[in-house]
Amino acid sequence: MIAFSSLIAGVALLLLLMAAATKGWLASRQLGARSAASEEDTSEPCPEEFITRVFSRADWEFVRGLKAGGIERLFEQERKKVALVWVRQTSALIRKVISEHARAARQSKNLEFSTEINIFAEFLMLMAVCGILSVAVQIAGPLWLGVLAHFAQTLSQRVTKLQESFQAGVLANAREAGSA
Amino acid sequence: MLSQAIWWSSIVLEVFLLTRAGSGRLIFRYPVFCGYISFVLLQSIFRSFVHRWNEQLYGSVYWTTEFLGLILGCWIVFEIYQVALAAYPGTAKMARNVLLFLFVLALAKAVAALWSDPHLLAETTAPQMERALRTVQAISIVALVTVLASYSIPFGRNLRGILLGYGLFIGGRVICLTFLPPQGHHFWFYAYSASYIGTLSLWLAYLWSYEPSPVPKRSLQLEHDYQRIAAATRRRLQETSGYLRRAVRS
Repeated sequence: MIAFSSLIAGVALLLLLMAAATKGWLASRQLGARSAASEEDTSEPCPEEFITRVFSRADWEFVRGLKAGGIERLFEQERKKVALVWVRQTSALIRKVISEHARAARQSKNLEFSTEINIFAEFLMLMAVCGILSVAVQIAGPLWLGVLAHFAQTLSQRVTKLQESFQAGVLANAREAGSA
Repeated sequence: MLSQAIWWSSIVLEVFLLTRAGSGRLIFRYPVFCGYISFVLLQSIFRSFVHRWNEQLYGSVYWTTEFLGLILGCWIVFEIYQVALAAYPGTAKMARNVLLFLFVLALAKAVAALWSDPHLLAETTAPQMERALRTVQAISIVALVTVLASYSIPFGRNLRGILLGYGLFIGGRVICLTFLPPQGHHFWFYAYSASYIGTLSLWLAYLWSYEPSPVPKRSLQLEHDYQRIAAATRRRLQETSGYLRRAVRS
């Protein structure tokens, strides 16, 4: 068991350093200077109305009404591409927020460990949401995402209700056993 | 024959590295690192003398010098931390807390293991002990590199070389120690010794001449307003989260 955890630690260290060396994470970059990639990141997010339109089914209903299979397929493909670009843009925006925070916080003398951990956890959660969203768009397409989200919400509500009724039942049984 | 070749190559590379460090005045910039190289050079020569003149003593000399080298190695990590984060007190505080947490965790794990099996220390062999300590060292370097990369700390060529070389050496050593058989000269025995030659070559390339680390411009306005920075970041992240939620539920 200890040997296995040692192996994992050794391999993780080698992979991390190789990534740092190839991706230039520890490079002597000029402070404040921004690369072309980060310039791209600075773009503002798409307007909300535009994005709600990408995920909305209204246009899809209209295209389906035309009864033209080719147009339907083309519409779905285009919407998927736009949705994926939006997810990538949003995750770039999140990364930009964090890198700006890191640049500002690294010189701060009164940095708080717990606040940093909370911000990092929030960042990881948002990146995970973007990853899941990207996979969901690839698999189901943007038009079915709203339906999926609604289904997940209904399912989670049902599970919560079931859990509550189960807890209530357990408590009632405990009370009965106590009174007996 | 192969062992001899590895031994002589290490000696030559160490002498060459120390000569370059002396002529490039790196000795004054990274005294702990240069001290470590000098120690390894002297220990290799000392071990070979002991092996020749008193073979019975060799085992204890080998493990004593090995553990002294391990302690000096920890000091190298501390030197990297000190030099790299001298101008970044925020990241230095973060790194300190993370390393302290890992140290307490490792200590707690060791105490728990000794509590459950009081004979554990007596039954543990020297290579097993070295593997356990090197693993803690490897995890500490992983944590340090993660913090440095997260805060985009710029590294000069020399310091980057020291960190990459030492990290790769520790990673390789931990893997070799996992597979190293108790006796005999197998593949992992040679890999264990040869990994150090790779590290020395890397150090020689990165430490050929002195190159200063980039110095940040002091941003006094930001330095005093950490709470404001953190609040703004959290607000922006929450806005993005709401934006994602609204888009998907539309």
